[in-house]
Amino acid sequence: MSPTATASRPTTKASAASATVPGYAGKLLRVNLSTGKIWTQPWAEHMREYLGGVGLGAKILYEEVGPKVNWDHPDNRLILATGPLAGLPVWGTGGLSVITRGAQTNGATSTQANGFFGAALKYSGYDAIIVQGQAKKLSYLYINDDVVEIRDASHLKGKDTWETQEALEVEHGLSGHRLSVYSIGPAGENLVRFAAIQGDYGHVASKNGCGAVMGKKKLKAVCIVRGTKALTPHDARGLVQAADDIAHDLKTDPAASTLYRWGTLPGVTNLYKLGALPIKNYTTNLTTVDMTTWEPAKLRNGFDHRGHQCSACGMHHCHIQVIRKGPKAGELVDEPEYEGWSGAGWTIGATDQEGISWLNTRLDRACVDVNEFGWVCGWVMECMEKGYLTEKQVGFKLSWGDIDGAYRLLQMISHRQGFGDLLAEGVKRASEKIGGEAAKCAVYTMKGASPRGHDHRGRWEEMLDTCTSSNGTMESANPTHQTEFGQPGRINPFNGEEVAKLVGGILGRKHFEDSLGGCIFTFRSRIEMLARALSAATGWNYTMPEALRLGRRTAAILRAFNLRCGIGTDLEYPSARYGSRPVDGPAKDHNIMDQWEHMVDVWYETVGYDRKTGKPTRETLKKLGLDWLTRDLWRK
Amino acid sequence: MAQIARDSLTAQIEVTTWVTKHVGGDGSGSKLFTEPFALGETVRQVLRRFTARHPELDAALWSPDHAELGEHIEVIVNDAVLGVTHELDSPLKDGDRITLLGQFMGGSCLIMSR
Ligand code: SF4
Repeated sequence: MSPTATASRPTTKASAASATVPGYAGKLLRVNLSTGKIWTQPWAEHMREYLGGVGLGAKILYEEVGPKVNWDHPDNRLILATGPLAGLPVWGTGGLSVITRGAQTNGATSTQANGFFGAALKYSGYDAIIVQGQAKKLSYLYINDDVVEIRDASHLKGKDTWETQEALEVEHGLSGHRLSVYSIGPAGENLVRFAAIQGDYGHVASKNGCGAVMGKKKLKAVCIVRGTKALTPHDARGLVQAADDIAHDLKTDPAASTLYRWGTLPGVTNLYKLGALPIKNYTTNLTTVDMTTWEPAKLRNGFDHRGHQCSACGMHHCHIQVIRKGPKAGELVDEPEYEGWSGAGWTIGATDQEGISWLNTRLDRACVDVNEFGWVCGWVMECMEKGYLTEKQVGFKLSWGDIDGAYRLLQMISHRQGFGDLLAEGVKRASEKIGGEAAKCAVYTMKGASPRGHDHRGRWEEMLDTCTSSNGTMESANPTHQTEFGQPGRINPFNGEEVAKLVGGILGRKHFEDSLGGCIFTFRSRIEMLARALSAATGWNYTMPEALRLGRRTAAILRAFNLRCGIGTDLEYPSARYGSRPVDGPAKDHNIMDQWEHMVDVWYETVGYDRKTGKPTRETLKKLGLDWLTRDLWRK
Repeated sequence: MAQIARDSLTAQIEVTTWVTKHVGGDGSGSKLFTEPFALGETVRQVLRRFTARHPELDAALWSPDHAELGEHIEVIVNDAVLGVTHELDSPLKDGDRITLLGQFMGGSCLIMSR
């Protein structure tokens, strides 16, 4: 296929710009889909202050997307960013951050995926891609070192994400890890509000409708040839030593090594024991299913496996699997993460492991966020059981655990057919539209996003994080070693004050991690070691306090962005069902809403934000070195 | 009241996930133990006696000075985390179940300190 009329190349001048800091490519690739213009921009000045990934993305989003530029406006930016460790020999450093104004909250989004894209981007000479505008017809972006072209994607229309990747591999005569493709499926093309961006067969940037933003821009895919440019770390020996230490820690630390061995599979049984496995849309925390069949070894033995590791990753974590038995036998699928077992399984009352695994991959292929799908589908199932929604309204009968019915609903949502058109708006908007008793059953935050695949009524720290965060999902996420941050190793999980102090106290850790260009799992080591790897890569002496300060700066910028968009403190609480009192199981009768206001107060105090306006205080901004934001937020 | 023999009361101790490595397991699934105790003995006392027989578990479960629990293993008694129906110093009842749950990192786990 030949390039389209809009194809162009980066300017020679910009292409010649070189990195000034080791470990970086040193250039940002910019694409305007409306005009077809492609150019590059050197960046070095702000590297230490913003690093990359979400740190860089938050700054660009704030500067370039004004409050009137809604998620579906051509001037919205879709930022695909990686960081200073991407492409270097540290485990899991093919990572990608997607930053944009998202379709679910119409506010800031930052969501991460792994695979090979981040490394390929760096090897091609870019630290990030910033896409603006809207193509006239469905297009894809092709990157092969300095050759960057916007190409016609009409032949990819309607294809799912795996089909899209296969088609592009054939088209370019490249397979394996020589071509990395991140794309949208039908759900993204049809602007489903919880559409995701999926890449490299099974890796998903899933939150806050970033796939809908891509769909609105008529950008079907970004495909990148592996790239030929060398990356030179400042201290190669020091980097390898830090990488070895991180790998050793992940293999041997008792808590971290679970991930090394089983990935996120133990989540199902562990969270069940804590009353935090969401079962049937939060209607219960108990099951009669034999939970020993959900232990990781048994779960993994149920399928034929192929390793499916990401760039430079020694973690025995990602797998492609073949379904052995049942009606889907023989199908190649991606082994579900915990979130997949939860969203495509327990949340909708399904416990058929082959069926869940199959549905989870179908969600990835359609580019639908598995968590939000679980909340939408579980809500429909509960409402039909209770008579709040009728067969006539939905179009067919759907009951708990019905995998084929769930798939039918997925297709209706992906193509916005019939009742699926309403459901494509996400569970908050759909339930508010239906109203009455049905509205009370929906799980969501008032900002418009939904929780990850846990029952947060048994995990208060995550409910508080989800409701107060500014990025459409969780911002803090507990570290493996919370004592490393001066936090207590143990607190009472049902003591709101202790929970709020902890969640506020670790704000920033995740944003630092997500600014480096790596994976959430391989970066579950000590931050001190990540800071050491960063220093070896760049030549900076990056310390842990600086790491946390960077993360808190990023959180403050995302918050400022949302406040400017009108997303304020009045939306920081869960829906009625999300914040309800569990009726059974280990968290029975622990009612977070009894303590909610106090928890939010304590959180505000801990992070140094003004409780009334939601703004980071002048003092906090000063400490973070964000004077320019002080002028914006607090000018009279 | 007459002293009840230790072996007439029992608690079940379930060791799960990576924690099983410290009690002769392979780091997956769970291992079950039946632990006799005397009337009035607490969760702490029974766990102390149990971990004394498993030195690796002893090091992993308790803080270095043994004054408190360490960071990465949750203690659940009859399906409730400590602090809800039991403290470490609550007496056990015949048939109680203690679960030692390895911290899972698909997010976070908060643990009670008292
Ligand atoms: S830990 Fe898993 S998701 Fe992360 S980089 Fe490695 S294989 Fe990929």
